[in-house]
Amino acid sequence: MTHIITRRDFLRKTGAAALIATAGVPLFANQALEKKSKVILIRHQNIVDKDGKIDQKIFEQMLDEAMIKLFDAKTPEAAWKQIIKPTDIVGIKSNRWKYLPTPAEVENTLKSRLRSVGVQEANISIDDQGVLQNPVFLKATALINSRPMRAHHWAGVSGCLKNYIMFAPEPSDLHPDSCVDLGSLYNLPIVKGKTRLNVLLMMTPQFNCLGPHHFDKEFIWQYKGLLVGTDPVALDSVGLKIIEAKRRQYFKGDLPIRPSPKHIAAAEHKHGVGVADMKKIELIKLGWKDGVLI
Amino acid sequence: MASSDTTTQTAMQKFIPPSIDCWKASDSSRIYTGEEIFDYMDGAGEIYRSYNFQKLLVQRYACPNQEEILIEVFDMGSARNAFGVYTYMQGRGTSVTIGQDGEYKMGLLCFWKDKYFICIRVEKENPQASKAIFDLGEKIARAIPTEGKRPDIVKHIPLNKYLEKSLRYFYRYEILNIHFYVADSNILNLNDSTEGVLVRSKKDSSYLLLAGYPNKEQTDSAYNSFLTHYMPDSKESGIVKTENEKWTTCTKEKNYFVIMFDVPTKEQAMISLETFKRRLP
Repeated sequence: MTHIITRRDFLRKTGAAALIATAGVPLFANQALEKKSKVILIRHQNIVDKDGKIDQKIFEQMLDEAMIKLFDAKTPEAAWKQIIKPTDIVGIKSNRWKYLPTPAEVENTLKSRLRSVGVQEANISIDDQGVLQNPVFLKATALINSRPMRAHHWAGVSGCLKNYIMFAPEPSDLHPDSCVDLGSLYNLPIVKGKTRLNVLLMMTPQFNCLGPHHFDKEFIWQYKGLLVGTDPVALDSVGLKIIEAKRRQYFKGDLPIRPSPKHIAAAEHKHGVGVADMKKIELIKLGWKDGVLI
Repeated sequence: MASSDTTTQTAMQKFIPPSIDCWKASDSSRIYTGEEIFDYMDGAGEIYRSYNFQKLLVQRYACPNQEEILIEVFDMGSARNAFGVYTYMQGRGTSVTIGQDGEYKMGLLCFWKDKYFICIRVEKENPQASKAIFDLGEKIARAIPTEGKRPDIVKHIPLNKYLEKSLRYFYRYEILNIHFYVADSNILNLNDSTEGVLVRSKKDSSYLLLAGYPNKEQTDSAYNSFLTHYMPDSKESGIVKTENEKWTTCTKEKNYFVIMFDVPTKEQAMISLETFKRRLP
């Protein structure tokens, strides 16, 4: 008989607070991933103006600096060459949610960096909802994942993991139990082993939502950061910590994200596609320090 | 128990005025049914589907130099579904007297009436837009001709002792788990023919879960399942000190199963449970 995991199992193992982060995840799943996942958090005071408009030059500098640090390279180009070959066919998975999309400045920069290491223009495509009909994505040898982080009414938060839901033939198949199995997307044949870089945008993240597709400027703040790494689970985990810290600050106490974004822990423990445990994440902070929250 | 009675698009459109103040319907309304809801909203559509959502009408309104107003009218098929999805959302705003229950916060008005759940929102709240939202809400509420019956099970909750805005009505364990995680399986045997209410105590923030079943056999089965999977160490006494140093206790009465979670003391748990049990028919 399958062991049923109850609230008490979580209380027993980790204490009540951890329940929020890990509900629904096999408790004693083996923790095979011993190597720390490196995540770069870089912030710049002037990356966005008061209206949230991105300064492309500053974004380019931030991304370049993050890449150098992430890949221990001497130049940004050398860093990109570690993950991309000129012969690669590259899909940049962005996000078009109208209130908080992947900005054009980000898409353009990613594309220009791919071009700078020799990827042909025709072998690069930027897409969101059309990835399964996009010829570049269908034959892609490499993927870049980039989107803003936000609170989400069904998954808890939307980050790198959720951004790949459009790779599922039936996205709604991923919806049960608050999208707990989003990590499985990274094991789909069209995706598996192809993601070379994740850029989780924390420039103006949304830390709360009041209903499906709810957006209110009250619930975004100018954090002015980027999370850059190769492990989508680690990026989401760090992003979640920042969102939770902002919620504590804003709501003056713990107001857990509802529903619990348990898909992040499940991506590690159940699907093995990355590291969610902060103890196993090497977080490197660069740039502006004020209000870093983590 | 869920009804599949649905309203035609034409009938739903009659609830929506063509204009309000300077705002005019900016394009044709859109209707989404079944899984089409995911074309409109991604995974969040599951909330509505968990409450047997039937149809969604979306209408946008534009006004020069003003924010867009968006109206969503969900035909939930029955009043219990509309009430349920409203309780899913409630507790985040100020109560308003629009529809049978309503709340407003930061440019988002939600209410339910009969089998409909309605959201009206503006991206950036401002006094003129807020007034338009309230006017739209009142017009829509008036246009829905009848009120729906609130689920009987809710009447058993003494709202002098429990936080009304914390009340959640549901019949799927996935929804229960979002509000209060119990187990990764359906150990309470909840389904479309059952119903549940979760509510928080004013006094000590403990949780009361009341589940109703179609017959005594199903109630007994759920009770036994809970004892087996959640409190095997209670030795069938129905009370146990859990790992957070609080108490969980449960009992059954005819077709009802009552659980109290996270009560601070054993004595309080026993008294509260017995007191509540006496309220049940």
